[in-house]
Amino acid sequence: MSKKILIVDDEADITTYLETVLKVNGFTPVVVNDVPAAQKIIDKSPPDLISLDIMMPKESGLTLYQNLKNNPKTKKIPVIIVSGLGQEGKFDFYSFINDESMAEPEGFMEKPIDVDAYIKNINMLISGVKK
Amino acid sequence: MSSSKRKSIPRRLTDTIYKTLFEEVPFCVAIIDRDYNVVEANEKFSQRFGNWRGKKCYNVYKKLHRPCDECPSEQVFEEGKVIVADAVGVDKEGKPTHYVGHVAPIRLKEDGPVEYVLEMTRTVTGVKSWQQEYQILFDRVPCYITVIDQDFRIVRANEAFRESFGDVLNRYCYEVYKHRSSKCPNCPAAKTFRDGRVHNSNQVGTGKKNQDIHYAVTTSPLMRSGGKVAHVIEISNDITAVKRLESQVIEAERLGAVGQTVAGLAHSIKNILMGLEGGKYIVSIGLQKNDKQMISEGWEMLERNFDKTTSLVKDFLSFSKGRLPSLKMLNPADIIIEIVDLYKEIAALSNIELKAMIPKKVRKAPLDPDGIHTCLTNLVSNAIDACQMAEQKGNEVVIELIDNRKKLIFQVTDNGSGIEYDIKNKIFTTFFTTKGGEGTGLGLLTTRKIVQEHGGKITVESEKGHGSCFRMEFSHKRLLKLFEESDIIKKKNN
Repeated sequence: MSKKILIVDDEADITTYLETVLKVNGFTPVVVNDVPAAQKIIDKSPPDLISLDIMMPKESGLTLYQNLKNNPKTKKIPVIIVSGLGQEGKFDFYSFINDESMAEPEGFMEKPIDVDAYIKNINMLISGVKK
Repeated sequence: MSSSKRKSIPRRLTDTIYKTLFEEVPFCVAIIDRDYNVVEANEKFSQRFGNWRGKKCYNVYKKLHRPCDECPSEQVFEEGKVIVADAVGVDKEGKPTHYVGHVAPIRLKEDGPVEYVLEMTRTVTGVKSWQQEYQILFDRVPCYITVIDQDFRIVRANEAFRESFGDVLNRYCYEVYKHRSSKCPNCPAAKTFRDGRVHNSNQVGTGKKNQDIHYAVTTSPLMRSGGKVAHVIEISNDITAVKRLESQVIEAERLGAVGQTVAGLAHSIKNILMGLEGGKYIVSIGLQKNDKQMISEGWEMLERNFDKTTSLVKDFLSFSKGRLPSLKMLNPADIIIEIVDLYKEIAALSNIELKAMIPKKVRKAPLDPDGIHTCLTNLVSNAIDACQMAEQKGNEVVIELIDNRKKLIFQVTDNGSGIEYDIKNKIFTTFFTTKGGEGTGLGLLTTRKIVQEHGGKITVESEKGHGSCFRMEFSHKRLLKLFEESDIIKKKNN
C-alpha cells in the first residue's frame, strides 16, 4: 500500500506541484492549505510523513510541528520542512523556535525544491533510514 | 553736615599707625639703602628670611655673597619708579621660596634722590606649585587646549596641540587649525568673544602633516578688564578615530543592508521559482503521459508565476518612482482584523499578545488595501521582533484605529525593546534592519512610501528598553481628494 504524505502549504501552485511529484513517485498525497486542517487529518488518520511549509496565515507551520512533537501519538511522524526561509540549503531551526529541547525537523528542503532529493529524502525517512 | 574743622592727628598716633601697618601688613617688608644694606624689616620678614641686621639684601634674600645679576632695587634707585618683580629666594631654613616683590622708592626730600627702597614681598611658593600642577595638567590632558586673543592669535597652546599642529604661538588660530588665511565661518571663538558664552561645535582641521583632524571644540570666555572677553580658551577633543570608525560602521551597515535586502527578495523569488519549477514539472509529466489537462494545468502555473515575477519586479521598482495608490472605499478595521488573524499565532509562539483596539463606529475610507496591509504587516512584524528582543516579559502589541473628524490613524504600539536614538533617525530613510537575515531593510522604507502616497505621515515615538509607538496618520480630506483624482485617471484610461 502506498505511503500517505500530508502536504501543508498555503500556496496552491506549490501544493499542486508537490502533489504531482508525489503521485508520480507512487505516494498518496493529501493536500491541506492551513494548520487547523492539517491537525484534523493528523488526528483522524496520521500520515506516514508530513511535508510542511512555515509561513502560512492563521498558524505557522512551526506551531503544527511543535504540537506534533509534543504529542506521543504523533511525535514519530517524520516532518520535512519545505520553505523559502533557509539559506544555501540550510535552515537555522533554533532561530525560529526558542526551545532547545525541541528536536529539529527530520528534513529540510529549500524552495524551489530539487525533486530527486525531495523524493530520496522522503523514501529514507519513511523507511526509517537516517540521513 | 558737620561744620566742625577736621582735627589734625597727633604725631604719636601717626607713628603708631605706621608702625602697626609696617608690622601687620600681610607681606614681608624691608627697607634697603643704596649699598644693599637692610636697614629695617618687619617681623614677617625676619620669620621668612631670618636675621637681617647688619646684612646685605642679597645675603638675606638669596643667601648670596654678591649682588644679584638682576637687582630690582638697583632699578628703582635708578628709575625712581615702583616696580613689581618675581624671584626665587632662600628662606631661613635654606629652602627655595618663590616671592613677588613690590619695590617702591623712598625720598627723604620731595624731588630729592631715592635714598632707600621699600620692598614688600609676598611668598607665592604655594601658588607656584599650583601653577606647575596646572601646567602639567594643561600640557598632558588628552585634548587640545589653546588660548586665543581678540585678534585670534594663539597665545598659549598645550603640548598635545603643539604635537598635532606644530609651533603655533602668536599665529592666527584659523591659520593653525585649518591652514586658512581668514577667519572661519561660524567660528565658535568669535561667538564667545561676542556674547561671552560657551559654544560647542564640531570642526575639521588640518594637521601639520596636512592630515584631516576632526575635533569637537568648546570655547569658553576668559573675562578680564571690565567684563570684556579678552581671551577665549578653546578645548578640543580629537575625534578623528571616532569619525573613522563611524564611517566604517556606516559603510558596513550599508553593505549589510544591501545583503539583507537581497535575502528578503530571495525569499519572495524562491516561492515564485518553486511555482515555475512546478509548472515546468507538470507540463513535462503531462507531455510524457500525453495528458492535456496536466499540460494545461502546468502551463497556467507557469503563466501565474511569470505574472508574479513581473509584479515583484514592479513592486521593487516602485520604490524609485512615485505612483498613485490604488484606492478603494473600505472599512479600515477590516485590514486590522486580517493582520491580527495573520500574526496572532506567530506572536503567541513568543508569548506576545496581539490585540486590536477598534472603535465601535468606523467610517469607510478610501485606502489602498494592499498598501495599508503591507504597512501594518511591516509595523506589526517589527513590533513582534522588538518584543522578542525585549528583556522584560509580558509583552503585547496593540494595533489601534483612531477615527476622528479630521484624521484616520493607525497606531501600532509595543512594549518591546524600543529603538535607540541613532537607529530612530535612520529607520525611515535607509535600508535599515536590525533583524539579521530576516529583515530586508525595506519594511519601514516601504511603509513610509505607502503612507506618503496616501498623503499621510508616519511618526515614531520610542524609548530604548520601554517600547515603541508607530503612528500612521491620514487626513480624511486628503484621502477623499486623492480618491477623486484616481477616479478621474481611471475614467480617462478606460
